[in-house]
Amino acid sequence: MVTREEIKTLAKLAKLDFDDARCEAFEGEFAEIIAFADTINCEISGDNDTINEVGGRAEDIMDLREDEVRPSLDNEKITSNVESENGYFPVRRVVK
Amino acid sequence: MKYELVVGLETHVELATKTKIFCGCTTAFGGAPNTHCCPICTGQPGTLPVLNKRVIEYGIRAGLATHCSINTVTHLDRKNYCYPDLPKAYQISQFDKPLCYNGYVELESGKRIRIKRIHVEEDAGKLVHERGYTFVDYNRGGVPLIEIVAEPDVSSPEEAREYVERLQQIMRYVGVSDCRMQEGSMRCDINISVREAGTTAFTTRTEIKNMNSVNFMEKAIAYEFERQKEVYSSGGKIEQATLRYDEHTGETYPMRTKEDAQDYRYFPEPDILTVNIPESYIESVKASLPELPLEKLRRYTAELGIPEANARLIVKYKAVADYFEKAVSLGASARRAANMIVGNIYASIATEDEKEKFQIAVSAEEFAKLIRLTDEGKINTTMAQITLGKLLENGGAVEDYISMEELAGMGEDDLRRICEEAIAASPKAVTDFKAGKEKAISAMFGYVKRATQGKADIRKAEAIIRSLLQ
Repeated sequence: MVTREEIKTLAKLAKLDFDDARCEAFEGEFAEIIAFADTINCEISGDNDTINEVGGRAEDIMDLREDEVRPSLDNEKITSNVESENGYFPVRRVVK
Repeated sequence: MKYELVVGLETHVELATKTKIFCGCTTAFGGAPNTHCCPICTGQPGTLPVLNKRVIEYGIRAGLATHCSINTVTHLDRKNYCYPDLPKAYQISQFDKPLCYNGYVELESGKRIRIKRIHVEEDAGKLVHERGYTFVDYNRGGVPLIEIVAEPDVSSPEEAREYVERLQQIMRYVGVSDCRMQEGSMRCDINISVREAGTTAFTTRTEIKNMNSVNFMEKAIAYEFERQKEVYSSGGKIEQATLRYDEHTGETYPMRTKEDAQDYRYFPEPDILTVNIPESYIESVKASLPELPLEKLRRYTAELGIPEANARLIVKYKAVADYFEKAVSLGASARRAANMIVGNIYASIATEDEKEKFQIAVSAEEFAKLIRLTDEGKINTTMAQITLGKLLENGGAVEDYISMEELAGMGEDDLRRICEEAIAASPKAVTDFKAGKEKAISAMFGYVKRATQGKADIRKAEAIIRSLLQ
């Protein structure tokens, strides 16, 4: 069971503006989501090593990428989706 | 009431790899904004990170050099937080299976500062706040870091300094980072609390983030110690908070309190496979580690008989220690070589940075040759120093400044011949000396000096003259 307080905290962390009505609706939805996660928990033990064994998702250190420089993109290209200024990405000021 | 200081340090060290942790972009410092970037390190949708092998290797090197155990199975985790310096809105880091754990850094006193863990992660971009905007440069984004988390074993500002400087030295010795604090390739977060002396329970702590100078770090800890003592003495309570140290006022100010603490929602990074590290690999890294600074210091003083102050100044910079050891291996006496490095060569180098690099005009071979000539008494110390000065300025070989004739002329037989001449040329001095006037002998030294242009070892000459006059 997820409490109203927990939903408010999560909403704040997720930068979502939830009023009381939305919180109430969410209580029910959340219960369903968690129940679904429990179903997954039944399928696997929850232990990462086990998951990795099951999926064979491990690689040897020697198979990792070699430390060799490859060309980066031009500044023009990398900033092509924004109105860049002197090559920077401008965003709303994040400190006071 | 007597209080004691409890300090825990978290140190971020940028690894000296050529490329970023998850892409092939260069890690070179500086560069025009957003020119060392690609779709991966700017977090474009649909891209996948590819782990750099050297990051794991360097992480292991750092761990072994600080006596850590290495996890043979390690994986990366996703740490979620939303800030413009992080284009993916999460940082790939490590949570429950750090690469290294349970190590220590030994201080000169023998005290050990325990290391809880070392994990690898990616650095964030750089923010510039101007004219109501924040400007983002992702060149640093994705540069590999290790975070070295120490247990709260440090109990004075001086110990904190020594710990950080030792860490810096060790990381440079094993070649995983240049640890330049002024360029941000080494930064410290400090947790500070104060408790009644003799007690063991932990009290509320404050944190000062991103210190990038050892001097300011030492001052900040000293200030915060005094401040917390005062709060407790007047019956107050310390609030858990993140503080900022103002370098101009020398005081700390609150940045944010605990209420704003983030929930990072760590979970295993699904885009990167778990990494298996065979024991044999760890052994091969261990075998490639050089002698570490503290071991070196102890060997220099105990085995080579170098005075501690000199030994410390040589060990401080790996390039200097390598140079010194090469000269010694070529036959130079360790004490004299150490003396001349600290007394003469250092005097010609202006900055710490240049000492760190130690690119001087005198090769270790020529330096060793010069020391050997001095050891063998073929030239005296003054002559050696003058020649070293010329070598430092213009490079070249010892023979360019001291001719072979001069060197040959300084042999035992020649010195004896010159001493005989000196006696023959100073009949009055000889008579006076024999009559008991000790000082008269100096007239003969004067002759030897003139005849050899100051290159003779006067102590040797004195012994010869005295034996001839007996």
